[in-house]
Amino acid sequence: MIGGVFIYNHKGEVLISRVYRDDIGRNAVDAFRVNVIHARQQSRFPVVNIARTSFFYTKRSNIWLCAVAKQNINAAMVFEFLNKMIDVMQSYFGKISEENVKNNFVLIYELLDEILDFGYPQNSDTGVLKSFITQQGVRPVTREEQTNVTSAVTGQIGWRREGIKYRRNELFLDVIESVNLLMSQQGQVLSTHVAGRVVMKSYLSGMPECKFGINDKITVENRTKNTTDSTNATTNPNNGATNPATTTKTAIAIDDCQFHQCVKLSKFESEHSISFIPPDGEFELMRYRTTKDISLPFRVIPLVREIGRTKMEVKVVVKSNFKPTLIGQKIEIRIPIPPNTCDVQLLCMKGKAKHKASDNAIVWKMKRMGGMKESQLSAEIELTPNDKKKWNRPPISMNFEVPFAPSGFKVRYLKVFEHKLNYSDSETIKWVRYIGKSGLYETRS
Amino acid sequence: MRGDAMRGLAVFISDIRNCKSREAELRRINKELTNIRQRFRADKTLDGYQKKKYVCKLLFIFLLGHDIDFGYMEAVNLLSSNKYTEKQIGYLFISVIMNSSTEMKQLIIQNIRNDLQSRNPIFINLALQCVANIGDREMAIAFTNDIPRLLISGDTLDAVKQSAALCLLRLHRTSSDSLQLNTEWTARIIHLLNDQHLGVATAAVSLIDALVKRNPDEYRGCVNLAVSRLSRIVTSSYTDFQDYTYYFVPAPWLCVKLLRLLQNYPPPEDPSVRSRLNECLDTILNKAQEPLKSKKVQHSNARNAVLFEAINLIIHMDCESSLLVRACNQLGQFLQNRETNLRYLALESMCLLAASEFSHEAVKKHQETVINALKSERDVSVRQRAVDLLYAMCDRSNAQDLVQEMLAYLETADYTIREEMVLKIAILSEKYAVDYSWYLDVMLKLIRIAGDFVSEEVWYRVIQVVVNRTDVQSYAAKIAFEALQAPACHENMVKVGGYILGEYGNLIALDPRSTPMIQFNLLHSKYHLCSPATRCLILSTYMKFMNLFPEIKHHIQEILRHDSNYRSSDVEIQQRATEYLRLSEICNPTVLATILEIMPPYPEKQSPLLVRLKQKKPLMEANGATESQPAASGNTDDGPKLTETAIHLNQQAQHQNGLLVSLDTPESNGHHEESTSHHSSSAKKFLFKNSDIIFENELIQVGIKGESTKSTLRIELYYGNKTNSHLTHFSADIFTPGDLQTALRMNFDPIKSTIDPKAQIKQTGTIDCIKDFAELPTMNISFLHNNMLQKIDYAFPLYLNKFIEKAEMDSNNFFLRWRNLDKPNQECQKIFPAKFPMVYNDCNQKLEDFGWSSLVGIDVNAENFCGAGIINTSTQPIGCLYRLEPNKQAKMYRLTIRSSKEGVANRLMELLEDQF
Repeated sequence: MIGGVFIYNHKGEVLISRVYRDDIGRNAVDAFRVNVIHARQQSRFPVVNIARTSFFYTKRSNIWLCAVAKQNINAAMVFEFLNKMIDVMQSYFGKISEENVKNNFVLIYELLDEILDFGYPQNSDTGVLKSFITQQGVRPVTREEQTNVTSAVTGQIGWRREGIKYRRNELFLDVIESVNLLMSQQGQVLSTHVAGRVVMKSYLSGMPECKFGINDKITVENRTKNTTDSTNATTNPNNGATNPATTTKTAIAIDDCQFHQCVKLSKFESEHSISFIPPDGEFELMRYRTTKDISLPFRVIPLVREIGRTKMEVKVVVKSNFKPTLIGQKIEIRIPIPPNTCDVQLLCMKGKAKHKASDNAIVWKMKRMGGMKESQLSAEIELTPNDKKKWNRPPISMNFEVPFAPSGFKVRYLKVFEHKLNYSDSETIKWVRYIGKSGLYETRS
Repeated sequence: MRGDAMRGLAVFISDIRNCKSREAELRRINKELTNIRQRFRADKTLDGYQKKKYVCKLLFIFLLGHDIDFGYMEAVNLLSSNKYTEKQIGYLFISVIMNSSTEMKQLIIQNIRNDLQSRNPIFINLALQCVANIGDREMAIAFTNDIPRLLISGDTLDAVKQSAALCLLRLHRTSSDSLQLNTEWTARIIHLLNDQHLGVATAAVSLIDALVKRNPDEYRGCVNLAVSRLSRIVTSSYTDFQDYTYYFVPAPWLCVKLLRLLQNYPPPEDPSVRSRLNECLDTILNKAQEPLKSKKVQHSNARNAVLFEAINLIIHMDCESSLLVRACNQLGQFLQNRETNLRYLALESMCLLAASEFSHEAVKKHQETVINALKSERDVSVRQRAVDLLYAMCDRSNAQDLVQEMLAYLETADYTIREEMVLKIAILSEKYAVDYSWYLDVMLKLIRIAGDFVSEEVWYRVIQVVVNRTDVQSYAAKIAFEALQAPACHENMVKVGGYILGEYGNLIALDPRSTPMIQFNLLHSKYHLCSPATRCLILSTYMKFMNLFPEIKHHIQEILRHDSNYRSSDVEIQQRATEYLRLSEICNPTVLATILEIMPPYPEKQSPLLVRLKQKKPLMEANGATESQPAASGNTDDGPKLTETAIHLNQQAQHQNGLLVSLDTPESNGHHEESTSHHSSSAKKFLFKNSDIIFENELIQVGIKGESTKSTLRIELYYGNKTNSHLTHFSADIFTPGDLQTALRMNFDPIKSTIDPKAQIKQTGTIDCIKDFAELPTMNISFLHNNMLQKIDYAFPLYLNKFIEKAEMDSNNFFLRWRNLDKPNQECQKIFPAKFPMVYNDCNQKLEDFGWSSLVGIDVNAENFCGAGIINTSTQPIGCLYRLEPNKQAKMYRLTIRSSKEGVANRLMELLEDQF
C-alpha cells in the first residue's frame, strides 16, 4: 500500500509530505529529489525504484506528485489515485501550481488524511468530499449534518447523499474522444486507436436511477435479436434503427470499457445495460477504447526534399475528411526541422506558420477549417553543414478539435426514473455533445 | 556605442539562470543556437567583437553540457586577431572544446606557432597557456623545439620563461616520449636554477625535477646549483625576497622543490657541497626552534612544509647521524603539537626515521608519547600512523612492552585498523619472541580480543610455530585447553585449540583436570556452534584423539556415526565422517598410529604474515627494506593446509604444494625477474633458500626446489618456457666432473622433450651426498627454439650446506665441543668487511637459512652468533661449529668455523665469507 505522498516544486523543494506508513523514512523524500528531479539524465520511467522503494510520480505544470511504496503494489491503482488526487485538488482550488499548493496546504493535508487511510485509497469523490471538507475554515458542524455525512460515506450509495432538490432537472452528457494515429509517409495507417470518455454533469433531484444506451455492437445485436423475436411488436415509429441493416452499420466495437463506481456492474454483465444512480455534479461515467473503423478527421501529406548539405525543402498538405457542414477548430501542425537549421522561409495558404527555434520546429496554426477542404504549407530551410550525425526525421504531429466522435460512438438514449419524487423521464432536460480531440496524431515525414 | 562588456552574453546567461525547468533551458538554448548559426553563416561578415560574443555563448552552452558542432572556425579566426580579449576568448574556446579533426588541429597549431614567435609577451603567454591546457601528443611534437628555445633564450621576459617552463613540464608529463629535448640545452636548463627571478627558478625546479626522474645522469649538474641556491635562500633573511616571502618564510615553495630535487640523488660526494648542504639543513632545523614570527597559520604551515621536506631529505641521505637525531627530536616536539595534521606528519616521518640505524635509538625515546598518542588521539588516521610507528620502532628491547600496549589498545581500537594491528602484533611477537610461551600467550590473547580480525594466516602461523618448536608444545596444549574453557570462544580460538589438542593433547592428558575425556567433551561442546570448515578440522582432531587416547575411541566413533556428521548436508563433513569412521574400523592400532602420526615440522619460509601485511599495504612498510627476501612463497600453502594435510596420510603431498615457478600470471613473471636481478649481485643462488631461480634468459627459466632428509636431497626442477612457441628436443643433464663423481650420487626422473609455450615442466630427482665436496656440478640444457639449437651450460648451485642438519645444544656442550676441535686443519677463521647493513635479525636469519642452528645466549656477547650443525654424508656425519662476531664500529665481521673433518671448515668459509 502507498507509504507516503510527496509534492515537490520544480526545484525539488518539498511542499507537501505526508507519510502513512513507518517503512517510509524521511530520507525517501531526498532520495526522490536527488535521483529523479535533480537527475543528470531526465528519467523517462513513471516508476523509479530507489533502494527497494518504489516511487510513482507524475508532473503537473511545475509540480511533481510522487507516491512512495515499499511493498509491491498495483501501479495502475497508484496512478489512478494520483490522477484522482489531482482532480480533487483542481476542483478545490483550480490550477495546480506552486502558489496554489502553498496557499492551500492545510486543505491538502486534510484531503490527504481523508482520501488515504494507512495507505489504502478511500472515497475520493469530489462531491462527497466537499460536503465535509471546505475551504471556509472551521465551521461548527451540527449533529444532523454529521450523521448525514457519516451515512453518506458509509452507506450503500456512498457517492450521493439524500435529499437533493433541483427546480429544473437537467443533465449534460459530453462524449470526449482523443484520436491517436501513426501514419507512414505513404499514407498507410500504422496504428490508430481512440480513447473516449463519457462525462456527465447531473442536476437531478432525489435518488434517480438512470439507464444509458449506446451503439455498442453487442447491445445493438441483442436488441435486434429481441426485436425480431417479438416480430416487430414495437409501436415507436421513431425507432427506425431497429432495422438490422442500419444497426450493423452504425454499431461500433468497443475493445474495452470501464465505468464509474455508481454503475451496476452485475446488470451490465448479465443484460449489457448500463444503469446507475449518478452522483451529484460532474463525474466521469465511462471510459472506453476502440481500434476499428475509426474515421480520421485529418490527413497530413508531407513532402521533404533535401537539396545538398545546406538546404532542405518541406511541403505539407492537410486535408480535412469529414462532412462539409462541420468545422474543425484549434488546428496546429508541428513540423520538426533539423537542429542545425539556421534560417527558414515559410509560405502558407491559410492560417499562420512560424519557425520556433526554441523547439526546432515549424508550427502552423489554423483557427478553423471546414470539412472536405485542403490547405498547404511550403518551407525552405537553410542548414549549417554538419557531418556528425544524420538527422532522423521525427514525425509531424497535429492537434485539432472536431465536433463529432471519430470512433462513431453514439448515445442512443439516457432514461431517468425517479420513483419517489415521481418526475418523468420526459421532464428532464438532456444535453448531449460530442468532441473529437487529437491525442498523438502523427505522420512520418 | 558598445563596450567590451558583451551585454548579449550577460542577457543570455541571466535568461538561462531564470529558467524554471530543464525544458525551458533547452528551449532557450535551441533558440540561441539557431540565432548563432544564422550569424555564423558563411556569407555574412562579422566583426571581432561579435565573433567573440557568439563564441563565448557557444562556450557557455558547451559548459552547460550540450553538444556543440559548429563555430570552431570562428574561434580559430579569433586566434589571429590582434586584440587581447578576442585572442583570449579564442584560446579559451579551443582549450575547452578541442576539435579532433586533423585539419583544424593543423590550423590551430599554426596559429599558436605564430603567437609563440611573435614579439608580444602577452600573446606568447596566451599561446603557452593554451598548449599547456591541451597538452596532447601532437602539441608536444609540434612545439618540441619552440618552447625550450623560449625557455633558454636570453631575451625572453621572466614571465614568459616561467610559463614556458611550466608548459614544458606539462607536455613532459602527458607525453614524455614524444618530447625530445636537445642535450645541448641541458646545461642551460640547469642554469635556470640560478636565475635572478625567483619565479623562473621555481618553475624551472619543477621542470628539472621531472626531467631528472627520466634521465638522472644527464642532469647531475643540478645538485651543486640546487645546494647553492638553497643555501642562499636559507641563510638570507626574509626581507630579501619581497614578493617571494610568504608570511615571513623566504620562498617556501622554491625551498621545498629544491629539497625534493635533491632527494633524487645520493648525498653529494664533494665534501664542500656536502658540508654546505648539511649547513642548510642545520639552519632549517635551527629555524624551526625559533619562536613563531606570526600567529597566522600560514606562517607555521610554510615553515613546517620546508622543515618536513628537509627531514625527508635527511632521511633520504641517511648518513648524517647528528642531523637524523636532531630531526627526530624536532618531530618529537611536533608529537605534542595541537595541530592534528602536524602530529600525523610527524608520526609518518618518524616511521621512516625508525628504519634508519642512526636514528632508531632516538625514535625509541618517544615511545611513551607515541603510546599516549595511540590512546588519546581523536583522529583515527593519526592513530593508524602511531601504530605504524610503534611497529617500526619495535626491537628486541622493547618488544614486550610494545606488544602489551598494542594488545591493550586493540580492545578499544577502531574497526578499520584492527586487522592490520592484529597482523602487526602477530609479527612483532613472533619476531622478537625470546620465550615462545610468551608468544603463545600473546597470540591466544589476540585471538580472544579480536577474533574476528584474525586472518587465516595468523592462526596458521601460530600452529606452524607450535609444530616446529618442540619445547613449547606441552605449554601450548595447556593454554589452548584453558582458553577453550571460556564459555564463549571465538571460532578461530576453537580452530587453534582443536588443532593443538589434536596434536599434543597427550602431553597434558596425565593432569586429572584435562583427561582425554574432558578434552574431548570440551571440544565437542564447541562443535555444534562452528562453521562447517571448523567442524571438518575438529573431526580431524577427533581422529587424532583416537590415536592418542584409544580409550575414547568408542565415543568418537559414536560421534562420527551420528546423522549430523555421517549424513551431513555438507559434503566435506560427510566425507570426513565416513572415511574416518571406516578408517577407525578397519585399521589396527599400529597402522592407525602411522597414519595419524604427529605432524612433521613445517619448512621454514618467509612468514606468511609479512606477505599478508605487504598485500594490505604495498607502500607503507617501514621494516620492509630489511626483509630482503622476495615474496616468493606468497602462496598460503605454507600454512597447515588443514583440509589436505591435517591427517598426514601422504608425506608426498607436502613436497608438491604449489608450483615454484609459474609463468602463467604476469605478477609472478615480474616477480621472478626481480628476484633474478637481486641474485645476480650475490652469485650464490640456492645457498640460503630452499627454492630459487637458478637460471634465466629470455627463452627459458629454470627453478629449483629442494628438501633434504639426512644425506639425501630431494630436488624438484622446473623448466619454464618464456616464449610463445614450443621448445622441442629438450634435454637437461647434470654432470659431476672429477672428484665429484665419487662424492655425489644423482638420480633424476626422465622429462618430456617438449615444453608448450608459456608452460613449464617439472623434473624430480634425488641427490645423495657420499662425502663432502668442493666443486659444483654443471648443468647442461639444450633445446630447439624456432629450429635453432640452443645450448646452455652453467654451474649447478649445489652447495655442501644443503646437507647440514641443525644441531641444538647448550652453552657447556657447545664450548666443550668447540675446544675439542682445535687441530689447525679443523679451524678456519676469516675477517671480512660487511656487505650489507649490520642488522642482528638479518644475520640470524641468514645463518638459520644456511642450515645450521643459531643458538641464542651461548656466547657471552649477545651480539655474537654461535651455532652448530651436522653435515650428513652417507659415509660419515661431520659436525661443525661456528662463531660470527660482528664489529659495528669497523663494519667488519670475524667468522670462525670448526669442523670435525679436516678441510670442511674451509669450504663452508668459502660459501659464507661474502654473504654478510
